[in-house]
Amino acid sequence: MPISKVAVIGSGVMGGGIAAHVANAGLPVLLLDIVPPGAKNRNTVAEQAIERLLKTDPAPLMHRDFARRITPGNLEDHLGLLADCDWIVEVVLEKLEVKHATYAKIEKARKPGSIVSSNTSTIPLRDLVAGMPASFEQDFLITHFFNPPRYMRLLEIVCGPKTRPDAVQAIEEFCDVRLGKGVIHAKDTPGFIANRIGGMWIQSALQAAFDLGLSVEEADAVMGRPFGMPRTGIFGLLDLVGIDLTPQVAASMQRSLAKDDPYIRIYQDRPLLAKMIAEGYTGRKGKGGFYRMTRSASGRQREAIDLATGEYRPLAKPQLASTAERKPEALLRHEDRGGQYARRVLGLTLAYAAALVPEIADDVVAVDEAMRWGYTWKYGPFELIDRIGADAVIALLAAEKIAVPPLLQQAAGKSFYRTADGRLDYLGRDGKYAPVKRRPGVLLLADIKRKSKPLARNGSASLWDVGDGVLCLEFHSKMNALDTEIMGMLGKGLDTVKKSAGAFKAMVIYNEAENFSVGANVGLALFAANVALWPFIEEGETAGQNAYKNLKYAPFPVVSAPSGMALGGGCEILLHSAAVQAHAESYIGLVETGVGLVPGWGGCKELVTRHTLNKKRPGGPMPPLLQAFETIALAKVSRSAPEARDTLMLREGDGITMNRDRLLADAKTKALALAAGYQPPQPQPINLPGPTGAAALKLGVTDLVNQGKATAYDAVVAERLAEVLSGGDTDMTLETSEDQLLALERRAFQSLIREPRTLARIEHMLETGKPLRN
Amino acid sequence: MTTYKAPLREYRFLLQELFDVGELAKLPGYEDATPDVFEQVLEEGAKLCEEVLFPLNRSGDEEGCTFENGVVRTPKGFKEAYDLFRQGGWTALVCDPEYGGQGLPHTLQFLVEEMVSSANMSFGMYPGLSNGAYRAIWHHGSAAQKRKFLPRLVDGSWSGTMCLTEPQCGTDLGQIRTRAEPAGTDGVYKITGTKIFISAGEHDLTDNIVHLVLARIVGGPPGIRGISLFIVPKFLVKDDGGLGPRNGVRCGSIEHKMGIKASATCVINFEEAEGYLLGEAHKGMRAMFTMMNAARLGVGLQGLALGETAYQTARQYAQDRLQGRALAGDKFPDKPADPIIVHPDVRRMLLTMKAYTEGARALAAWVSLALDRAERDPDPAAREEADDFIGLMTPIIKAMLTDNAFAATNLGVQIFGGHGYIREWGMEQLVRDSRITMLYEGANGIQALDLVGRKMPMHNGRLLRRFFHPVDAWLRQRLEKPELQEFVMPVMKAFGRLQQVTALVAQKGMADPDEAGAAASEYLRAFGLVAMGYLWARIAEIALGRLGGDEALFYKGKLATARFYMARVLPETNTLFVNIAAGAKSLMELEAEAF
Repeated sequence: MPISKVAVIGSGVMGGGIAAHVANAGLPVLLLDIVPPGAKNRNTVAEQAIERLLKTDPAPLMHRDFARRITPGNLEDHLGLLADCDWIVEVVLEKLEVKHATYAKIEKARKPGSIVSSNTSTIPLRDLVAGMPASFEQDFLITHFFNPPRYMRLLEIVCGPKTRPDAVQAIEEFCDVRLGKGVIHAKDTPGFIANRIGGMWIQSALQAAFDLGLSVEEADAVMGRPFGMPRTGIFGLLDLVGIDLTPQVAASMQRSLAKDDPYIRIYQDRPLLAKMIAEGYTGRKGKGGFYRMTRSASGRQREAIDLATGEYRPLAKPQLASTAERKPEALLRHEDRGGQYARRVLGLTLAYAAALVPEIADDVVAVDEAMRWGYTWKYGPFELIDRIGADAVIALLAAEKIAVPPLLQQAAGKSFYRTADGRLDYLGRDGKYAPVKRRPGVLLLADIKRKSKPLARNGSASLWDVGDGVLCLEFHSKMNALDTEIMGMLGKGLDTVKKSAGAFKAMVIYNEAENFSVGANVGLALFAANVALWPFIEEGETAGQNAYKNLKYAPFPVVSAPSGMALGGGCEILLHSAAVQAHAESYIGLVETGVGLVPGWGGCKELVTRHTLNKKRPGGPMPPLLQAFETIALAKVSRSAPEARDTLMLREGDGITMNRDRLLADAKTKALALAAGYQPPQPQPINLPGPTGAAALKLGVTDLVNQGKATAYDAVVAERLAEVLSGGDTDMTLETSEDQLLALERRAFQSLIREPRTLARIEHMLETGKPLRN
Repeated sequence: MTTYKAPLREYRFLLQELFDVGELAKLPGYEDATPDVFEQVLEEGAKLCEEVLFPLNRSGDEEGCTFENGVVRTPKGFKEAYDLFRQGGWTALVCDPEYGGQGLPHTLQFLVEEMVSSANMSFGMYPGLSNGAYRAIWHHGSAAQKRKFLPRLVDGSWSGTMCLTEPQCGTDLGQIRTRAEPAGTDGVYKITGTKIFISAGEHDLTDNIVHLVLARIVGGPPGIRGISLFIVPKFLVKDDGGLGPRNGVRCGSIEHKMGIKASATCVINFEEAEGYLLGEAHKGMRAMFTMMNAARLGVGLQGLALGETAYQTARQYAQDRLQGRALAGDKFPDKPADPIIVHPDVRRMLLTMKAYTEGARALAAWVSLALDRAERDPDPAAREEADDFIGLMTPIIKAMLTDNAFAATNLGVQIFGGHGYIREWGMEQLVRDSRITMLYEGANGIQALDLVGRKMPMHNGRLLRRFFHPVDAWLRQRLEKPELQEFVMPVMKAFGRLQQVTALVAQKGMADPDEAGAAASEYLRAFGLVAMGYLWARIAEIALGRLGGDEALFYKGKLATARFYMARVLPETNTLFVNIAAGAKSLMELEAEAF
């Protein structure tokens, strides 16, 4: 049975977030909560939750309009609406009696065969279904989302012995494909997978910091970035999630775990935490946490708490030799307290993880994925063991007097993962390697790369045969910044398809880095500008324009498949592609004005043409011009793929994929669908207003400067942009060709890159990652 | 005997024709530093250098410093000369009026330093080091430290030193062993260790010596991040400013050197000497760098100064020395022989010296004007620009000017023939004295690494902009001027190639540091030659317009030297560019054992 309507019961932070994400997937959602005593508006709780969704940052909704997909209601008047719902997610208080009461209501209202799940993180499934009718029990499972549901990939599924397999199958499929989650099967054990191991990690790191006398800065510098764990470290993380959660989690663990569980053994109450919570120092949501910002006459200052005295003091950069290490294995060898800390915390955490397979998960793959997706570790615990070396970890445990779990013992002299015959294998509990299985329909470039060689490769890009006659252009420069090597490989890719005599039918531009591309390598351009190498910069711009023109007019379809940031020159690739298949978490924009430039590789041309030819646009010469101008001048970046449709960065025919692992497959499918009978686009000259249009745009800029919303130099840049978008020296009776627009881009770009204030902006962006408002 | 007359006409050319020193007087605090004041001060300085310091140069070299029972004596006459120098206010020239200084611009100080070094480089070492110590305390000292030490350093009754080097570490200061133990009072430490190569470390010219000492606070971080800077006076200073008992600072011996023999180069032993933390703990290197940049520019000036003396003496000799006849027939038939200046090869040598020295002086003036802007310009953007430019040009000034000085002083010997090799004429002393300038304050190879490894990539090449943009603009503006083409074209060509190799070295260096290292020295020299070429083109432009006046001969000299530079000096860049392009392979492929 397909899931086409969903209900979420409970509209707290998690319930609201889950409802929002279902809405992101395009489904109608019913969001129910209680009627507060004496409330005039009986839906007020759920309605306020929806309003909160629109204000929360980062946004739970991918588009403001999606809020309309959520219908608020209450648990007294609207239970009848549950009869329409295929999946009912319970996200009420973590109290068994409350949940049972809710289930009783749901059970009466829901339609037969609908699926009910709980988002509990602490209550065992067996307790949840206790006393419920068999019909409920077979339709029931736990779906444990992580906060915030839109952004955290992990979804732990726990089913009971009676849960219908087809119900599990339906939820798994829906959450994977439609919600884009990484679905992991967990067992009905406390904390499931991620919180069980994550809880140990946080607790051991907290305890060891007190015991070994580390400052919070030192602890976070060690147990963070070097091991691919969140940069915040655990103290920064606790500030983020709320310090008051720590005793709650601990209490729940203490209730449910065996007395000899290592978590229970290392746990100690720390009076400082109790005092902080009691006085409202619960982290960022409270008066401060382990870190805080203070304002004084001398400006803002970051402070950290002294774990020994409980007093705040100015932040101190860690000075230990170990805290300067970036490599995990080197850090672990240090004799100072940083090294001791790393050995203790990692020893406890990794040993715990190894001891819990198969108790909490069937294999190491599930544990690694859970920690990567649920705690944003770069490497799961077993991947981390491989990086350090299984033998080194075994030796470390021996030195720390921690028992070596049998699973880890089995990895002695080996690793938990290996690549064999072009395939990724993992070490099973039987000591044998088995292939890591991908879900049906998942296609990863990483897997293709294991079993094949690139057709071509240079320092910044490669070409891969991704099967079925589709060629893939992959970027792999630093931050996927576009340089001459990528331009060269783009040309080579187009040639390869052209000359393949039909062996290749289409090309996709895709990669598996965090960001599709952050844009042109402005560092290179800045250096060249600094030494006044103007011809180099001019050639670079012309070469980019030509490369993108060839991309647009290729006699076969090119589908670009972005995920993460597609900015500047990266965005211009999308604008020149036959179609785009975007991951929902794509952040697309022409951001050149932020560094004092205008898009120079056809971005201005494409966007103003799109807006001009947009059938739904209002009449007259100015509206399309204004829209393109605003988008570029304000360097607007979409905060999701759906939002990119508003600015025409994505067109109607462009697709959106929710699951990152399915993006390549979807892009391939799209490319092949387009390939049959493909006709490249025809150049479309447009009529632009010329100087009168530019003057109108400039007037608007002057207003912004007068209002203090734009700087004087913003105005200089915006005026150059206005001249390009309005077509230069033309009027509405004349057609402006693509080449004329490109020439205007070049003129504006080349004049701006000679400006010291543009160079200052580029430099600032490169050095701080933030725009300079000069 | 060498010849030296302060090149006051040259200074006027730089300050009023090539650059506009009048601009300096517009900066806050420099209102009194008008061109007239420059002229007066320089004339006074010239007198002192020519009449007092220059006559002691040869005797100072002959006698050298002496060391006996921990006491160092400077050569005869030095003490008296120093007293005159100090009474004339020359130690106070650029110092803060709040501490008794005259607050005049660095540009003026640099020209005075040049004259002093031309006349007597060894003598110049003493006030030079004091000025470095003054700057460090002025920048980083507490109010109390400034009150205590600056007035005496400014009036020259005390002198200063920089104590960096130890037996086991010179360039690599992270290895410093001299240690500082807290002495109970805040900021007071007991300093123990041995420093070597300490110029002006001990002498008889002043009442007290203020050592600035790099040491490691016990328990501090290892390496360069644990180095702190301390003020350690030879005599403790009482609160009323009077001198107290002797501190635990002793001179162990002095070095016997190739040159600058009248400058005392000492081994200084610190034994639980009382020292005062200057600036922040563990941030000593940063404080030291304020001294080092100025000191490196100063060393470049020493090179220039020796080149000037060598040129003046050789010019005189080449005009006086009658020997043989011109190749193309007699030039002075009434004389028993022609002066050797008629010979192309002698002219080649003289013009090389002249081109180097005057080009170097223009380059140094360009940078010193920036130094004043960096300190005084009210516009932060202008200050940043000037700071960038100084940072970029400092290694070039230090290395190229001293390399050229060694070449020029050697050419001076060559022009003298055998007479250059004997002591009597003083030419060999100039070679010996100049040799140290390529070594101290960071050997020239280190300067090249500083340029290529630090200054070039800094802020994605922003420092480079301060040179490349104005030169690019100047050249472009003159593309249509036919009379300038003989200067603009060669500079433009070399400049274009410099742009190319800059990008090349930056790119290759990022992938492989050895590539940057392999290119460094030749890149620095190519950069310096192009920069001097640009200045010579500017000089030529000025000279072309003034050939008709009273000073036709002076401007003819400028123009001819500019032509010589374009024809015979700048082309050296051709070889350098080829060498740079050759990369690291030919240097690195042989394993160390096979040498």
